[in-house]
Amino acid sequence: MEAFAGLLQGFDVALKPINLLWGFVGVTLGTFVGVLPGVGPALTVAMLLPLTAQLDPTGALIMFAGIYYGAMFGGSTTTILLNTPGESASIATALEGNRMAKNGRAGPALATSAIGSFVAGTIAVALLTLLAPVVVEVALKFGPAEYFALMVFAFTTVAAVLGASTTRGLASLFVGLALGLVGIDSQTGQPRFAFGVPELLDGIDVVVLAVGLFAVGETLYVAAYTSRLPETLEKVKGSLWMSLEDWKRSLPAWLRATAIGFPFGSIPAGGAEIPTFLSYSLEKKLSRHPEQFGSGAIEGVAGPEAANNASATGVLVPLLTLGIPTSATAAILLTAFQNYGIQPGPLLFQIQPELVWGLIASMYVGNVILLVLNLPLIGIWVKVLSIPRPMLYAGILVFATLGAYSLHQSWVDLATLYVFGLLGFVMRRFDIPVAPAVIGLILGPLAETQFRRALSISQGDASVFLTQPISATFLAVTALLIVVPWLVRRRRRAAQGRR
Amino acid sequence: MRRSGAEIALSLGVLALGAGVAVGTALLPAEGGYARIGPNFIPAVVAFGLIVAGAFLLYEALTGGWRNMPAAAERTEHALHWGAFAWISAGLIAHMALIQWAGFVVAGAVLFACVARGFGSGRALRDAAVGLALALGVFLFFVRVLNVSLPGGWLKPFIGGL
Repeated sequence: MEAFAGLLQGFDVALKPINLLWGFVGVTLGTFVGVLPGVGPALTVAMLLPLTAQLDPTGALIMFAGIYYGAMFGGSTTTILLNTPGESASIATALEGNRMAKNGRAGPALATSAIGSFVAGTIAVALLTLLAPVVVEVALKFGPAEYFALMVFAFTTVAAVLGASTTRGLASLFVGLALGLVGIDSQTGQPRFAFGVPELLDGIDVVVLAVGLFAVGETLYVAAYTSRLPETLEKVKGSLWMSLEDWKRSLPAWLRATAIGFPFGSIPAGGAEIPTFLSYSLEKKLSRHPEQFGSGAIEGVAGPEAANNASATGVLVPLLTLGIPTSATAAILLTAFQNYGIQPGPLLFQIQPELVWGLIASMYVGNVILLVLNLPLIGIWVKVLSIPRPMLYAGILVFATLGAYSLHQSWVDLATLYVFGLLGFVMRRFDIPVAPAVIGLILGPLAETQFRRALSISQGDASVFLTQPISATFLAVTALLIVVPWLVRRRRRAAQGRR
Repeated sequence: MRRSGAEIALSLGVLALGAGVAVGTALLPAEGGYARIGPNFIPAVVAFGLIVAGAFLLYEALTGGWRNMPAAAERTEHALHWGAFAWISAGLIAHMALIQWAGFVVAGAVLFACVARGFGSGRALRDAAVGLALALGVFLFFVRVLNVSLPGGWLKPFIGGL
């Protein structure tokens, strides 16, 4: 019952009035920024990072948990009313949600998304509470070799297994790893790839990369390729309330989606995209009204939204217990931790239990705040959506440049930001996934440190990765993940060739 | 058969980056202490990975194009609008050049006006005014409330800052 005691202690922290206030501020800001079209959760967290400069770590992290949840809900509002999914995990929601809004059922669509997020979020946090101490128990036995193998596994799933193309995913990952090489080598103090520029000796900041790819790249893409297209904002007409029928159809969808989303998030497989689509197709298969799918079926909103939220909470399991981020947003949360000199991982649960459990408890609280705040304030979020596009994107870039500039007070960071903006523009246009690059940048140096530590301990004997059972298992699974799909494709092609 | 010049160019770009990392790696010391591998080992792995990924991309680009690209019909895009791209780039570069001596507020207003212009706004003066107000508000909030220092530049006598 270690989890229970920890959680009680956590609520002590989370329910302090000042921390409640930070949670409240976080959820509100997160929703406000998340509603902005083209601004996903990762960018929201990255842009709001400078705001916490003066807070104590606990307050800041609680605020970030609020921002994380708020940003997710804000994004689904935009998706439903505007049909511009801010991130790939919202595409499934867009299919049915925007249809419902077009049919004058925007209210119930927003309600099922908000209540579904609450239900899925709360169940997922409860699962996180139970699971975290167990994972921590195992992770305390990990040495550098195990960590390195686990990170290789995370790289592979994020880059090669998810997404449309293994080749493009790996290219993105290696670009991120290359960026991670810049700066002073942590083991020997040797400067690498800094080209004598003092600003580069610190390494490339994940915030600059994320804001460059997501904010500058997205703005360039939208301006150059979609800004001259007409856009329709659906009105929220009629009742916000869901009918009894809506409840009956939503509830099982929420629960099934939570069961799909949480495991996907918590094994280091990253990304909420697959669970949302799995949930969508499952609901379509199980629905008594499959004919409504494509023209506004409420299960098609309830399921993916809940799956998205459950998987976003699941992502916090490897982040908090192992220090391994498996989504772009988690990578930025990890930066937020590191800014305070905190390294998430099993030791954190022992050294600063009040911080970790306070954070977990604040997620329960954050989910409640989200529910009571969002539906009543829906009118305000809709107003945010009607900001003219030129003003909106101009404002986003003012904040994006502020975030980069305030790191070192140097124009070099602004130049780096613009270069990453061009990179993001190209990646967006040519369907190259961005998340592997962000994760490669932050996880690459950590993986290198573990790799070299493991070899130091074994006196340079590389077989250590294969003779330790846990490490060997992770590496074997990783190899299977790459080889099996390739073999299946080959056999299928061979079979077709014979016919 | 579909063949895209841009895909070929991007594949070559990844290959070139790999080659660049390889050259940089060759200049790093190999001294490794107990681990027997030095600060040049992982860079070599990354260079190798980039070259392999770039080679695969190039192979795909030359044999029917990159795989699993979204179909043209799925994309809701108009033709590339170079003007929009150029205005936003100009705004970001001007911001970079202005921020140290003209200050955060002026640079922000210029950036705001340029981006709005790039999105097709025809009212440059109004945009600049809105941008000025927004940047000033952000400046005062960060400098006075959050104690984050930002350059005041030309407006320093009135608003303070670095």
